[in-house]
Amino acid sequence: MKFKYSPMDWVFKVVTAAAALTIVVIFAGILVVLIRESSPAIKAFGVFKFIFSTDWDPVKESFGAATNLFGTLVTTFLSLLLALPVAIGIAIFLTEIAPSFLKGPFGVAIEMLAAIPSIIYGMWGLFTLSPLMGNHIEPWLQNTIGKLPLVGILFQGTPMGVDLLTASLILSIMVIPFTASIARDAFQLTPAIVKESAYAMGATKWEVVKNVVLPYSKLGVFGGAVLSLGRALGETMAVAFVLGNNHQITKSLFDAAATITVTLANEFTEASGRIYLSSLFYIALLLFVLSFVLLTMAKLLLFKTGKQESPR
Amino acid sequence: MNIDFDVKGLNFYYPGGHHSLKNINLQVYKHSITALIGPSGCGKTTLLRCFNRMHDLYPGNRYEGEILFEGRNILTQGVDLISLRSRIGMVFQKPTPFPMTIFDNIAYGLKLRGVKKRGLLSEKVEHALIQAALWNEVKDKLHQSAYALSGGQQQRLVIARALAVEPEAILFDEPTSALDPISTAKIEELVEELKKDVTILIVTHNLQQAARVSEWTGFLMLGELVEFEKTEQMFTSPREKLTEDYITGRFG
Amino acid sequence: MSERTRKIESALALVLSTVAALVGLFWLVFILGDLIMKGASALTPSLFLHNPTPEGVEGGGLKNAFVGQGLITLFATLFGVPIGLLGGTFLAEYAGHGKVTRTISALSDIMISVPTMVVGTFIYAVMVKPLGHFSGWAGSVALAVVMVPVVLRTTENMLRLVPWTLREAAFALGAPKYKVITQVVYRGAITGIFTGVLLSIARVAGETAPLLFTSFSNNFFSTDMKGPVASLTVTIFQYAMGPYDDWHQQAWAAALVITLFILVITIVGRIFIKLRYGNK
Repeated sequence: MKFKYSPMDWVFKVVTAAAALTIVVIFAGILVVLIRESSPAIKAFGVFKFIFSTDWDPVKESFGAATNLFGTLVTTFLSLLLALPVAIGIAIFLTEIAPSFLKGPFGVAIEMLAAIPSIIYGMWGLFTLSPLMGNHIEPWLQNTIGKLPLVGILFQGTPMGVDLLTASLILSIMVIPFTASIARDAFQLTPAIVKESAYAMGATKWEVVKNVVLPYSKLGVFGGAVLSLGRALGETMAVAFVLGNNHQITKSLFDAAATITVTLANEFTEASGRIYLSSLFYIALLLFVLSFVLLTMAKLLLFKTGKQESPR
Repeated sequence: MNIDFDVKGLNFYYPGGHHSLKNINLQVYKHSITALIGPSGCGKTTLLRCFNRMHDLYPGNRYEGEILFEGRNILTQGVDLISLRSRIGMVFQKPTPFPMTIFDNIAYGLKLRGVKKRGLLSEKVEHALIQAALWNEVKDKLHQSAYALSGGQQQRLVIARALAVEPEAILFDEPTSALDPISTAKIEELVEELKKDVTILIVTHNLQQAARVSEWTGFLMLGELVEFEKTEQMFTSPREKLTEDYITGRFG
Repeated sequence: MSERTRKIESALALVLSTVAALVGLFWLVFILGDLIMKGASALTPSLFLHNPTPEGVEGGGLKNAFVGQGLITLFATLFGVPIGLLGGTFLAEYAGHGKVTRTISALSDIMISVPTMVVGTFIYAVMVKPLGHFSGWAGSVALAVVMVPVVLRTTENMLRLVPWTLREAAFALGAPKYKVITQVVYRGAITGIFTGVLLSIARVAGETAPLLFTSFSNNFFSTDMKGPVASLTVTIFQYAMGPYDDWHQQAWAAALVITLFILVITIVGRIFIKLRYGNK
């Protein structure tokens, strides 16, 4: 008997393969197009000079990425710093503390926090959080932590609420659900029997979390943190309202700044001149490369946790 | 003979009221080995987990009756589970090394109890590993991850970890079910050796194992203790027809 | 450490974790509460039925943005979902677990988190700049680019959950592979895939950054996808940044509508998944 091969089978396979390849095409397309569009700026400013130059002068047509990178990196790391303890606390609460009837609804609540669009975060930040920060929280911080030596420098200047701190706080709220849900998933990979055997030795709940669950899931939690960094890095609308688009490297968290995304959102459609627009593409390219590196790292870490060595 | 645990009229309910232990009465003698046998789902593991109140980790479980340990009922509300569990060790079906080095695994219980001196820790760790017949195999790699050991070695490591805090009793929950025959033989040998120092309760699905290592055997069926006897007696001339059917392999 | 201090330490850690959980909840209640309070009052029929009045003149609505948002999202779904669906099918059904699959899956995972702003600049360069004007089409394509990896990964995962025996049973009846996939495997995974599509719509409906330089904005009612089309999110951005109280009011109302839309879809999606696959 001869096996009949349906020509439709071939067609279907080719169509699906083409669809799968679109991902590769889009990815490569973004890279190629961004490089092409930024090539005038690359030619004009080079790579290192562009990255380290604090110039951002549309009039003289002299551009550098340093101020944008500074704002991006500061808000990204500060937001993770603020989010991580809360996210890990939430994960511990969800896996070890919450009674089972609360786990579902609370999980949904955290997911809702992740589902709120970033433009809403941005608008809420502008109208509600920013005045609150500027009028109450920042003056209070200035009078407490601001008086301390060394760290005090970070809290100088006039608190306006449109600054690095407010932007980072909003970012941190957005990042909490991602980090928390990945940390929770990582915690849940700890075999119940290993936890039980720590309890059977007379460990308290916290000791079980600290000595068994956390070491067990550290790769996963770290991967989640890196993924959140990647998210925060590329966030636009949540920070666009409250950062001030100030192209300077500042010392205080109460100063306005600019991130790559905020600069793009504010200046892209108004950019006149070839070099100006090309420089904007150039910083977009830097952002793309930066987030690709971070996300790949996160992916590798999370992949490792999936098949981490475990007791036999 | 001294009684270590005296179980009186023990009933146990899982959430939803599932009545899984029915009026259990038995005595566990000090420094003896008591085996619990019975078909899957008979309640033997459930019974074992009453002795260190593991059921309290999950909501909705309920005990009735008493387990007297040193004359005190350990099933009452006021019992401090943390000190109870630090006096009664437990070994599980699968090896459960913690994600730390071999040394830190063994020292874990001691550290919980506030032992900090490096010298004392080393001494106790070595002693526990010798007791668990693992010292020679691991003495050169104490500071490597416990996951690098073989399954049988991991199980002996876990036993050493339980021994390090010098517990009164150790509960074994099918400790060899995941091991090969050679590792199983080593663990059995070790268990017999240990009864000099600790009281041992062992749940096993392996009748030969119960016959080989234990002095007392309890046979459970559907949550009831059908027979509790000297092992020799039970395996040669059981009192109950049901026990005879089970140990001669007519069911289960 | 004595047992007492250990217990106190443990209790303290657990209290702190619970506080962390309450902090998370606090932000949710704060943001949603604020949104409802400020948005509900401006939620009038004229918001949906009228177009914007000229700048500085009170009144008017956002009909243009609601319709525009609907159009852009609809076409994004029409472009993005089939590609994602078919691509996910290839990975789950044809490519096995080899290097190709893993690379494409990993690349999709990365694309899911790539800054959407970058996607906006990319589409600007390939669709807006060559034609010389902003267009609704460009906005839809930008959102579709955001959507494809999401749909692709969900489809792949959901198809992999369909038991092999089901496929074997269909093959045993002599069905060719494409029929096995389209008639048997898809049916087995339909709830999961449908939910994935729903969630991807929720995801792009709230996107602003990819639309800023593609569909741009339009103060007038326009369904011409060849030209700039207003969207809710970009309008919210402009109105919130603008100087008029009236604009702020409308921005809050639009924000409330879009948030409710997305939250409802997200929750419905979760319920579907829970009904179909149980917990997790």
